[in-house]
Amino acid sequence: MAQFLEQIINGLVLGGIYALIAVGYTMVYGIIQLINFAHGEIFMFGAYFAFVCVTTFGMSFWVALPVSMGMCALMGMLIDFVAYRPLRNAPRLSALITAIGMSLMLQNLARLIWGARWRKFPAEATPTVLTGNTIPLPGGAQVSFLDVFIILLAVSLMIGLNRLIHLTKIGKAMRACAQNRAAASLMGIDTNRVITVTFAIGSALGAVAGVMVGLREVTEPAMGYYKGVAAFAAAVLGGIGNITGAMLGGVVLGVAEALGAGYISSEYRLAIAYIIMILVIIFRPSGLLGKSTATRA
Amino acid sequence: MKKNRLCSTALVVIFVMTFVMILGFALTGCEAKNEIKVAVAGPFTGSIAAFGEMIKRGAELKAKEINAAGGVNGKTLTLVFEDDTGKDKEASLVAERIASNRQILAVVGHFNSNCSLAGKPIYQRAGIVELSPGSTNVNVAAGSEWTFRNIYRDDFQAAFAAKYIKNVLGDIQKVAIFFDNDDYGRGLKDSFAAEAKELGLEIVGMEAYDRDNTDFKAQLTSIKAKQPDLIFLSGLYSQAGLIVSQAREAGIPAQLFGADGVDSPDFLTIAGDAAEGTYVTTPFVFRLDDPKAQKMAIAFEEMHGVAPDTWAALTYDAVDMIVEAIEKGGENRKAIRDHLASINSPEKGYDGITGLTYFDENGDCTKPAYVKIVKDGQFVPAAEQMLGME
Repeated sequence: MAQFLEQIINGLVLGGIYALIAVGYTMVYGIIQLINFAHGEIFMFGAYFAFVCVTTFGMSFWVALPVSMGMCALMGMLIDFVAYRPLRNAPRLSALITAIGMSLMLQNLARLIWGARWRKFPAEATPTVLTGNTIPLPGGAQVSFLDVFIILLAVSLMIGLNRLIHLTKIGKAMRACAQNRAAASLMGIDTNRVITVTFAIGSALGAVAGVMVGLREVTEPAMGYYKGVAAFAAAVLGGIGNITGAMLGGVVLGVAEALGAGYISSEYRLAIAYIIMILVIIFRPSGLLGKSTATRA
Repeated sequence: MKKNRLCSTALVVIFVMTFVMILGFALTGCEAKNEIKVAVAGPFTGSIAAFGEMIKRGAELKAKEINAAGGVNGKTLTLVFEDDTGKDKEASLVAERIASNRQILAVVGHFNSNCSLAGKPIYQRAGIVELSPGSTNVNVAAGSEWTFRNIYRDDFQAAFAAKYIKNVLGDIQKVAIFFDNDDYGRGLKDSFAAEAKELGLEIVGMEAYDRDNTDFKAQLTSIKAKQPDLIFLSGLYSQAGLIVSQAREAGIPAQLFGADGVDSPDFLTIAGDAAEGTYVTTPFVFRLDDPKAQKMAIAFEEMHGVAPDTWAALTYDAVDMIVEAIEKGGENRKAIRDHLASINSPEKGYDGITGLTYFDENGDCTKPAYVKIVKDGQFVPAAEQMLGME
């Protein structure tokens, strides 16, 4: 029982991280129908930005986190501005290939700047509140503060995002753009501004995930690829373009991965998660919460 | 008229081409006269780049020393570094590139077992020596007369580790194994599990991971439930470092014991404080009472500013063995192989800084294993060694 509880928590932490990255994919897809493959790299840069803030500039972790979010938001906007905006009215394949190119370029840029070595947050820079404490659970199980913090942070950011989309003016504009960008533009919505804000929000959330993975696991140039692919799968599983779906997809994938590794076979850890995704896609081609009608694909 | 012009154009083209070719031949001829090229293949980038870095530095030091002493048969030794990133797919591309470059006389590498295995058929077909300073999988050298290594095999290492755990560490009953799902990790795990069972240790769990993974909590939770006294890490330093730190976070008190894949200074930086007290088996230790190894260590620090590790030392020796084979055998791929194959008894053995190396009919060699422990953030030789176990 204790083991099961711990595995569920492992899955939820992983799921929270996937969800934070997945909303970035899904928000951009919802508005401009682009799979932004460079999003995984923004996540990776998020981890590196925090790492540099902490090691080179000696910032506290709690300062480094928002700084990294801000830098990634800027980076997301910049990528949209230089790479995707010129192709806004080009065939979708052009933008997709540009996204793949951007992803490769950013990954190798990180390798050039920081090297291929794995970087661990220095022990003195990690907040001891998070890493030094554990919470005992019934049945002898225990969970680290960091894991609880990641779950709570992911949940609160998701709620915040949901409120932003549904209660604010820019959220309304985003929903309008997702429904029909041309019509939204005719109604006087500055669609380019909406797209920029979308990239900024998605990237900032990706940065949070990056910093958390950097703190809990490790920072390395290829991390954006591995976690990015899993998060993209989560977005598809939940129904791409649907923000609640991306959150749900992330959690389902994370829990499936942890339980699969814990109870079936750790050799097929990712395979089990992807088999579940494929099964869902077979029976619900538009994902768990996706619209049943064909999108404008 | 038109035909004539065509003829003259063709003549000019032929003339120019012949000239370029003659010039090209003359240039390569010059190069071949003054230069001996040897490839060094290893993981210079990727998640285990720290291995590659040390391999490169060890080879560079040896090349510098050889060239300072007059080169190979009076020619400059040039090393060609080829990056296989530690992945077999990349390694076969690298192997094709090396094999097709006729100027390269031999290969020092690959480092990872999966890479050496991927390169083996390609080097065999091309007829070029592959001398690995790090691949320990049982099957690496067997089946190709062109493949050699100057390090022990995993069946020996695994038996050694199991005996050390049983005889020296004492009161260890239950052992869990955490293995990298590749040729090295799986092969070592199988040998270790078999030997441990033989010795009466109980294997309570075996968990796998992929090299790309950085989150091991799910597997560790399973291992934790089985309450092992010791976790054997059958993988490479980067993942092992994370496993060690995540195991301590998860509240697993078990003794940690790695194999030579964990023996890298970067293990200490990744694992941090959690590394303390971890044992590893290794093919080589720098001992203070070993003047040859100390001389190399000092020269290495002078050239690169850091202390050498095990892999720098083994590569240092491997490059020297190839150079010796070129000098004594001859300046072609076949002569190098024949010379290496003739080193088949302790009397003919090559006596380098990592000990005496001589090959059996497979190209494998018999060398001792040592044990290191992490103490105060440093790898140091364990107080108790178990030498003379062959």
